[in-house]
Parts: sequence; structure tokens; C-alpha cells
Amino acid sequence: MGSKTSLSKALVRRETISGYLFMLPCLFFFLTFVIYPMFMCVFTSFFDSNMGKNTTDVFIGLANYRELFSDRIFLGALRNTFVIVLVSVPVVMVFSLWVASAIYDMPMVLTSAFRCIFYLPVVTGSVAVTVVWKWMYNNYYGIFNFLGKNLGLIDKNINWLGDEKYALWCIILILLTTSVGQPIVLYVSALGNVDKTLIEAAEVDGANRSQVFRNVKWPQIMPTTLYILIITMINSFQCFALIQLLTSGGPNHSTDTIMYYIYYTAFKLYRYGYGNAMGVVLMIIIAVLSAVQFKLGSSDN
Amino acid sequence: MRKTTALLLALVMVISLAACAAPAGTETAAGTEAAAGTEAAVETAADTKASEITLWTYPIGGWGNAETVDSLMADFKAATGISVKVEYLDYTNGDDQVNTAIEGKSAPDLIMEGPERLVANWGAKGYMADIADLWDDEDRKEVNSACQAACFTADGKCFEYPVVMTAHCMAVNYTALEKAGKADLVNKDTHTWTTQQFKYAVAALYAAGNDPVAAIFCGGQGGDQGTRAIINNMYGGTFTNAEHNAYTADSAENIKALEELQAMDGISFDASIVGGDEINLFRQGILKMAFCWNIAQQLNEDNNAAGLTNDGDEIVFMSFPAEDGNAKLCGGIWGFGIFDNGDAGKIEAAKEFIRYFCEGEGTEPAVKAAQYFAARTGVHGRDLSGIWSDNAIMNEYNKLMPYLGDYYQVTGGWAEARTAWWNMLQAVGSGASVADSVKTFCETANAAAK
Repeated sequence: MGSKTSLSKALVRRETISGYLFMLPCLFFFLTFVIYPMFMCVFTSFFDSNMGKNTTDVFIGLANYRELFSDRIFLGALRNTFVIVLVSVPVVMVFSLWVASAIYDMPMVLTSAFRCIFYLPVVTGSVAVTVVWKWMYNNYYGIFNFLGKNLGLIDKNINWLGDEKYALWCIILILLTTSVGQPIVLYVSALGNVDKTLIEAAEVDGANRSQVFRNVKWPQIMPTTLYILIITMINSFQCFALIQLLTSGGPNHSTDTIMYYIYYTAFKLYRYGYGNAMGVVLMIIIAVLSAVQFKLGSSDN
Repeated sequence: MRKTTALLLALVMVISLAACAAPAGTETAAGTEAAAGTEAAVETAADTKASEITLWTYPIGGWGNAETVDSLMADFKAATGISVKVEYLDYTNGDDQVNTAIEGKSAPDLIMEGPERLVANWGAKGYMADIADLWDDEDRKEVNSACQAACFTADGKCFEYPVVMTAHCMAVNYTALEKAGKADLVNKDTHTWTTQQFKYAVAALYAAGNDPVAAIFCGGQGGDQGTRAIINNMYGGTFTNAEHNAYTADSAENIKALEELQAMDGISFDASIVGGDEINLFRQGILKMAFCWNIAQQLNEDNNAAGLTNDGDEIVFMSFPAEDGNAKLCGGIWGFGIFDNGDAGKIEAAKEFIRYFCEGEGTEPAVKAAQYFAARTGVHGRDLSGIWSDNAIMNEYNKLMPYLGDYYQVTGGWAEARTAWWNMLQAVGSGASVADSVKTFCETANAAAK
């Protein structure tokens, strides 16, 4: 009995070592490119760190964090970021669930075709997508102004990206088109995996379509919903490329997001410590919201 | 076993943390050692000249064209044996690429741009090598004095050797103005006009159905000199003081000009376009005036013959409007600077490159490639004044060169002032008070200048 136990312990040890060895390359990259920069970010956020060969980083404690909450532009960027998240996350969730529900039980060819169509903007390079949208929004020859004027919807051209009333909403619209692809594919897959016997049983018991969805399908796709919720939220919080390529945070800071303002502070103003402090705040916000969502998701389950 | 592994992982984390903590102190120490090392090494550099160097260049005329540059580099290699690896930057992301390279300790050996970046930014931050030793008395006599002033710091260090220069100007769609019946407002001989004539021209083009006539582009990223020049010149305002240590854009003259432009029919403050977009819209015939113009644009033959829009309308380059017609034009100065990467051999090879292209046999081809005017009258006695004698457009454009104003782009905090300038224009374009907006701009820019 004793020799059996020691044999199995040795086996477990060997397997554990093998497991860690397999993890080692991944761990190396994780430590180098995730953990190390993360600690650097937190560490530098306590310093007045600027660009300059002969400058020295000066420890200033929480001064960067205190400055953040009196920085009008940062607070505006925070507000814009929350607007993007609060609008895009529910819309993406509802739209993708609706599309997936409509297409998942279609003939395979049609389902695949729709999946391709909705996934196309995800696999297309963000620069290419942005350039096309920029043409469409163009103040002088864009298709939106052309159609709007010809259909009698607008009297004169609207400067979509140059007017602070519209710019943020234009960004959100593009974000929606590039964000729905993955949730649709995931929902189609999740809905396809719902136990059909449970659906049939519910229908035999007299449940209507709405009741079947609410009481049978929805609980079974809950883990997928939770995953989609979190990735969509994180993607929305990290909206950067669209802003940088289309508006550079303008006009008048109306499209600044925290991600863009971090870039602006670090690369245009060369204030690395201050930019990192913003990064830490963003990380805390995302971590807290993700934890809340996990908690709510697991309670529902 | 798990505990041991966890302990090992924790150790790795601690080491990472220790590594994180190191830079603040070690970087300075390492920097000092490297600086001391470099100084010592430079003295014996002649023996260790590198055989390969890197050049990063912004699109300065033909210096943004690989075919042109390859030919220049081949000639340089044949003359010196040094090969040059070239990378091309653009004005949208170029600064970010250079900054990232600097922080990643992989900056190029040479860079081609203007003093606002090489002297006022990277030079002032200590990243450029001092190349004052490349100048002798003859160079001092031959190189344009404004260029010299812009390339040297107050304490006598030189971070850029200029090769070409120009005066930035604006352009008018002359055909459209003819159709509007006001062609007489444009003097095609002197290429100058008054503020009143400019306002009449905008009004005439607007009345002829052109809306907008011109755009104060303020999407950021390049072309800022055009927006500054129109505002500063209309009523004789300045952007900085003469000492280049304070921003003065909140003067009464600038406020008056901005308020007029804000209220003027036909002038649009457009935050959705940048300088390059404005040029394209002008070439497409959509805008009838362009503020982001210079000789390179006038010589452009991409879609039609030089001096014509895509539709064949005649383009006339003009000085910016001033009350008395005598504008002070923004200068464009471009040349080479050397990054001090601590490798004396590379620095010496880069200096050889500068000698060849800025004061040697490569100067004339370098100037011709850039399609601007030479920054010097001759190369050690060899006259350069006839370099463009075969080009009628260049000769005509030469009429604007006497209007070249102060090269104030070397004022401290330039990079931040530039971004604050766009924010100010966007605020004005959104209808904000001009006086408040320029006040905010000056507060931000002057804080950065200190």
C-alpha cells in the first residue's frame, strides 16, 4: 500500500514537472510581456517620469493620481469611455443574440454565410475599416451626406467627425460593426449546443417560444453570455485605434477616451508617470466590473 | 512540489519587480557612464568608423521616395564605402516611431527633419549628438543665417546640419477666382496681397457658390504652419516672442484675426481634416484656397501638370495676406541630425554622411531630390545659386523667399504647444470665445516652455 502511494506520488510529481515545463515558454512570455509591464506601469505611476536622456524619475507618491481627478480632460475621457461602454455593450449583446437566434437553426449554408458576413469586419484590418468609414463620413464627398441631401433628410453637409455633437456617436457606430462578429459566432455555437430534448420536453409541456427561450435556452447559454459580456466590455473600454485614426480625440476633446488620453499623455506630452497612473485606474475599473459580472453570472447559475 | 514551484514563480516575480525598480537609478548611472564613454570614444572615433548606418527620414520632397533615396545612397556608398539603411517615416506616426525607438534604445543613427524636432525636441532632451565641430568659417559664411540660428542652441551646440529650406505659403484656385470675376485681387507677379484683398477674394468665391472656400484644418498631425501663418499675418500678430521663450498667440492682433476668420462666410474650422487632406481637397477643386502650401506642392505632378488642380484649374501660390501686403512667412528648414547612441564609430560615419550631403559633392543632388532651395549659397566656394536655373516654377517661387520670417519653431515646449494649438483651433471652430481659447493655449504652451 505504502509503495503504491509513493509510486503514485512520484508519478504525480513527474506529471506536475512535465506540466510546468510545458507551461514554461508560455509563462516566460506571460511574465515578460504581461506581468513585467504591468508592474512597471504600477511602479512608474508613483514617479514624475518624463522623456529625457538626463532626466531622473522623481518619486511623488500619489500625486499623479490626485492630479488625475482634477484633470478636466481626463474626466471628460472617463465620461466618454463610459458612454461608449454603456451604449455599445448592451447593443452588441442584444443584437448579436437576436441575429444568432435567427440564423442558428437555418440550413448550414445560410448559417455559415451569415456568420461570414458578420465576422468579416472583425478579420478586416482596423486601418482598412477605418479608412472606408472615414470616406463615408467625409464632410465634403461622403456617402452619408450625399444620401442625406438627396433623400431630403439634411439641408447641408454635416461634418460627422468634425462636429462634437456627432463625432462620438460615429465612433460608436463603427465600434458596433466591428464588435458584433465574434458574439454572433459564439452565440450560434452556444444555441446549437442547447440540449434539444429539454426544448422538446418543454414544448410538450406547453411552453411557448418565449418561455422556451427564457427558461431553457437562456440558462444554458449563460456562460457564453458572461464571456461575451466581459470581452465586449473590455474591448469597449480599450477603444483606441478608431479614435487615433479618425479624430485624434477631437473635436475639442469630445472623443477622448482613457486609452487615447493615455497614449496622448505618454507620446505627445512625454509624461510617462501620469499616463501610467491612468492605465492603473483603467485596469482597476475593468477588474472591478469584470469581477462584478463574474459574481452576478455565477449567482444566476 | 507545488510549494517549491510556487516559490520559484514568486522568486521570478520578485526578480521582475527588482528589474522594474532598477531603471530610475540605473538608467541615470548607465546614462552617465555611457555619456562619459561616448565622449572618450569620440576622440578616437576616426579609427573605428562604422561601415553601415541607419537613416530615418520624413517625407521631405523626394527624400520620401525610395527610388530617389536609393540612388543617393548608392552614390554615397561609392564615395565613402559606408552603406546606409533607410527607413521612411510619415508625419502621422513618425514622431511616435522615433520616440518609441529612443525609449527602446534603438534610435537610428541619422534622422532628417527640421529644427523643431531635432533641436527643440530630441536635442533639448539630450538624445542628439553635438555636431558643431562640422562647421568651419566658410560654412558659417555660406549657410543661410536663419538656418544657422535655428540649428544651434543658445550654448553653441548644433543638433542639425541644414541642407534645404523654403518659405511656406498659401495657394488660390485662380480659375475659380476668375469665374467669380475677382481675378484682379491676385497679383501673379508679386504673389503678395493685403488682408483686405484676401477677405474680398473669400467673399467673392463664397458668393459664387463655393462653400466652404477654405478650411482652417485642425484635425492635428502636421501642416500647423499654415494655420499659424494665416492667423499671425492678417493683422501682424506673432506666435512667439523674439527671444523664443514665450508664446504670444493671445495678442490683440491674433485675437482679431481669429475672430474674423471664425465669423467669415466661406471659412470653415474643420476638425475632421488635417493638412494633407486640405491639400487633397484643394487639388480636387473642392476647396478654392489652401493654407498648407509650399514649393513642393506647386511642383507636384501626381494627378496633373505642376500648377494645376486635378480638373485643370490654375493654381497660383500666394504669400499670406498682411495689412500692408508684406507677410512674414513661416520657414521650412530640413537637414540631418545624429542620435547619440553611444557608438562613436556610428557617429563618425554619420558625420561623414552629413559632410557628403550638406557640404560636399552630394549637396546638389540632395537639394534637387528634396525639391526645395539650398540652405547655403555655395559649397566651399562652389556656387549653388544656379541650382534651379532650369526650373521656371522654382525661379518664380524664389520671389517669396525674401518674406521668410523668424524661425520660432525652436521655442521650448514646442511639441506640447503644437497639440495645444490644434485644441485651441477646435475650440474656436466649435464657437468658443476666441479670447478664452487663445488664453488657454498660451497658458498650456508657456507652462511647457518653462
